Amino acid sequence: MSTTTPALPVAATPPARRVVPRAVRRRRFLIGVAEHSLLIATAVAFIAPLIFIALTSLMTTDQALSPRIWPEPFRWSNYTDVFDQAPMLRYALNTMIYSCGATLGMLVSSIPVAYALSRLRWRGRDAAFVLVLVAMMLPPQVTIVPLYVLWAKLDLVGTLWPLIIPNWFGDAFSIFLLRQFFMTIPESYLDAARVDGCGELRILVTVVARLAKPAIAAVALFMFLLTFSDFFGPYLYAGDEETSWTLSVGLAQFRTLHQVQWNITMAATLMVMAPVIVLFFLSQKAFVEGVTLTGVKE
Amino acid sequence: MSLAPATDRQRRPSVPADARRRARKKAQWRRRMTVLAFMSPWLVGFTAFFAYPLVSTVYLSFTHYDLLSPSRWIGLANYEYLFSEDKQIWPAVYNTLWLVAILVPLKVMFAFGVALMLTRARRGIGFFRTVFYLPALAPPVAATLGFVYLLNPATGPVNGALGLIGIEGPLWFNDPGWSKPALSLLLLWGVGNTMIIFLAALIDVPKQLYESAELDGAGALRRLRWVTLPAISPVILFSVVIGTIEALQLFTQAFVASTIAAGSASSAGDPSNDLGYPEDSTLFYPVLLFQQGFRFFNMGYAAAMAVLLFVVSFAITLVIVRNSRRWVHYAGGGT
Amino acid sequence: MRRTTTALAAALFLAVGVGACGGTGDDDNSDKAAGAPAAKTGKLEPADLTLWVGFSAPRELRVFKGAVKEFEKLNPGVTVHVVGGISDDKLIAASRGGKTPDVAQSFSADNSGAFCGSGAWIDLKPYMERDGISDEIFPPAPRSYTQFDGTRCALPMLADTFGLYYNEDMLKKAGLDGPPKTASELTEYAKKLTVKNPDGSLKVVGFNPVMGWYTNTPASMGPMFGGTWVDDSGKSSLGSDPAWAKFLTWQKDLIDFYGYDNLVKFQAGLGDEYSASNAFEKERLAMHLDGEWRTAFIADEAPDLNYGTAPLPVDDDNRDLYGGGYTTGNIAGIPKRAEHKDQAWALLKFLTTDDRAMVMLSNGLRNVPTTESSAKSPDLKPDPKFETFVKIFSSDKTTTTPVTAAGSAYQELFNGFVNKWQAGRVDDLQAGLDDIDKQIDAQLANVEGGQDVP
Repeated sequence: MSTTTPALPVAATPPARRVVPRAVRRRRFLIGVAEHSLLIATAVAFIAPLIFIALTSLMTTDQALSPRIWPEPFRWSNYTDVFDQAPMLRYALNTMIYSCGATLGMLVSSIPVAYALSRLRWRGRDAAFVLVLVAMMLPPQVTIVPLYVLWAKLDLVGTLWPLIIPNWFGDAFSIFLLRQFFMTIPESYLDAARVDGCGELRILVTVVARLAKPAIAAVALFMFLLTFSDFFGPYLYAGDEETSWTLSVGLAQFRTLHQVQWNITMAATLMVMAPVIVLFFLSQKAFVEGVTLTGVKE
Repeated sequence: MSLAPATDRQRRPSVPADARRRARKKAQWRRRMTVLAFMSPWLVGFTAFFAYPLVSTVYLSFTHYDLLSPSRWIGLANYEYLFSEDKQIWPAVYNTLWLVAILVPLKVMFAFGVALMLTRARRGIGFFRTVFYLPALAPPVAATLGFVYLLNPATGPVNGALGLIGIEGPLWFNDPGWSKPALSLLLLWGVGNTMIIFLAALIDVPKQLYESAELDGAGALRRLRWVTLPAISPVILFSVVIGTIEALQLFTQAFVASTIAAGSASSAGDPSNDLGYPEDSTLFYPVLLFQQGFRFFNMGYAAAMAVLLFVVSFAITLVIVRNSRRWVHYAGGGT
Repeated sequence: MRRTTTALAAALFLAVGVGACGGTGDDDNSDKAAGAPAAKTGKLEPADLTLWVGFSAPRELRVFKGAVKEFEKLNPGVTVHVVGGISDDKLIAASRGGKTPDVAQSFSADNSGAFCGSGAWIDLKPYMERDGISDEIFPPAPRSYTQFDGTRCALPMLADTFGLYYNEDMLKKAGLDGPPKTASELTEYAKKLTVKNPDGSLKVVGFNPVMGWYTNTPASMGPMFGGTWVDDSGKSSLGSDPAWAKFLTWQKDLIDFYGYDNLVKFQAGLGDEYSASNAFEKERLAMHLDGEWRTAFIADEAPDLNYGTAPLPVDDDNRDLYGGGYTTGNIAGIPKRAEHKDQAWALLKFLTTDDRAMVMLSNGLRNVPTTESSAKSPDLKPDPKFETFVKIFSSDKTTTTPVTAAGSAYQELFNGFVNKWQAGRVDDLQAGLDDIDKQIDAQLANVEGGQDVP
């Protein structure tokens, strides 16, 4: 939406900018502010609850349970109390093992599946795609019952393996998302590679993966975050084995019989969210500045 | 498998028919093995982690199972109870379908709208992007607690602000008519994931399409309707399907919100005596399922409920996907 | 593709096989029979025991560890490892696989029906007979909520009782003498002690009758009118027992005095039940129904509060009920797959019947001790306000909620109905109660295996 500058006949003088009528300029400015103000208002609404959580993390236990909004005084010591009350570093290590293991496994297993479902032609492909979707439709409350028995038989209860292993066999959500993105890649790219004699695996790795980098970054981030904050899974399988606890299970223990210490829980929550936020910042490049298909299409 | 250029073919002597057939068969076999290799991890996973629990669940739905002793076959008794006697099913079904009908479209449109705003913003994109995504990173329990406190009818800042401009705020999570809207606000707040996906899709739309549309004289709204939406339609389909499945399985936030609003903030997570507070308005199907299976020791019945949910999810998704052929446009040329 | 289809079919076939077995969840019956306990010898074989408890605060776990150390002293060679923060979900999962403790404690007496009925916890009768322990050492209420259908699989380990707390300063200022003893007195006092803000909203409420808030539940308030949950044939009696209709009508009258929406708003602005901003401790309530643990909280958080404790007021037409109340408590038992049952029994017996252990636990956790002898022990921390609750506990008018195979299903169903009633959405109370009875009976029948579907 840029204005074109007409070339001036004389080379020595710098090209002058076309004069934009004031009315147009003002209109554009107002539209800009309007668009941004909506953005700003929405951003404020989005950030308010987080600020509230942050404020709660600085309160005393009683203030946290009362309807107050502003802590008084600011208990920065809540953040160190978190470490006193629980071996957070061990939990962090366990969480990293779980999240990285699951994310890696998901990528390795789901990308080929999504490719097969979108860019290879074979009989039964559509049926298989429906099956992928169908796998998401059983509520977890019922799937955990027979799965728990299965893991107990394999003697893996008490560890985090029952949570990591299933991700090495594909994840329906990721497969679905990747498939949708792969479908937007023009066939001509792939045909060109095939003509050059590339096998499908090579095509997948060199062509498709690069073109769909935003999507791959997205599913990796989602899986990482999902496993990072997963509570019920680690609690069920490793709940009685404190050495295997993850951060989310550790967070839930800031409570007495009758009372959850919300202030320390919130402090721990924010500390747990911090590395995730950093990760998000870092991955933004891969995300959004990924390869676009500008100018390469016919 | 390579296509020899036409010129070469003319120069070489023609290949005999059966040699061609053999080559084709070999190519076919290779293709099949490739597909098998690519699909094999998912096949194993699907069987072990879905088909097995599904078969198990269907089996359990015909039994009496209390999680503690062996299951006992009772035929259709669970289904009889489900379809004719359980009075709690009705609010559960209604509430969950409410989510599908109202929350899913809201969520998709809101995520799309926010992503669109982000693409148009000129300054501070990185900052805004992070702000909109952050809530999705908050653990559901903490987020729900924050929201219930924010919307506290007596002391929450939202009602306080409304009061300043002379509006008496509703009772939010304590009012049966407002509890679902309040929950919807919470879920819309966490829409970061979907927004990111839309953002990635919007950025991927080739600029040339916009430029040529502009040259043809299309204004902003027409460009949106005829360029943007079709170009990202695969992602819209994805959001609608995923959103529907998530709506059908909403559990944690409803569970925690009803517990806290009913006055037991300090014991959130304990078996609550007030699931669905207030007045069953937050009793969603998965919440009822959980209550039956894990609190009432009625796992066989919960399995029957799960089978019903599965069938309904399947039907709804099938309808959406079938219908999608009309409006989803894959640039790569597939369906 | 055919090859793949065959492979898939084979895998599914395998899955069905595994699924059919796995679904039952009970293949390894290592020690199914309650088993004849070993003959009683003087010493116990050395063993490492695990004790799972629901308590999670370090302070609370320390109390258990202290009691457990006494046990270890008496039984050299036996060590006990205490694990805290265990919920019933974990107990249930553990019965299907994975590690299981030797002794387990649960906060939900409601679940003893499932634990006993399914055999998940072993029958303790043979052990009790062998060691000469009669269950009469427990008062009738805890005796009933630790057994089901003839099987005693649990013993009570500390209990809660509920009574009336009243703010003596406020009562004196209003010219009222002593705690109210009947329902009509309670209403009269409540109205007199209520203070409104200038804008009409509630500032101080004399007594909050809304159920589902803090400890107000049909279970804890029902004994005021003597309502029974089941009749002699075991069917739900919420409609057939007139006490419930009477109770609900009285309660609704008091709610209407305040206005239901006003009360909801008032409640939302109160501090959390277990914080120092507790409504009674902050004097937003003149009178309040609560459990015995509140005395410890008040001593800790609001030591200047001038209050008294008394049994709950009762139906004017049934003054005999006065002195009783509702009680429920923790249960403890031995899971079926426990490795060292003899030693586990010794530990369980110690924690639940030994006076010293009971007093230690009661003093440390400030709950009511559950044996008649320990209730009379001179070592119990003296506290006249706490005494009220011990007396209520030992009263023969004190009742508890019945144990069913469906946990607390009937209570939760009734809670749902009561919520609607309070909000004014029920026109015909009797019809509603009869309906709920039918629902509860149908739910119970379904949980018990569809055998008696009406």
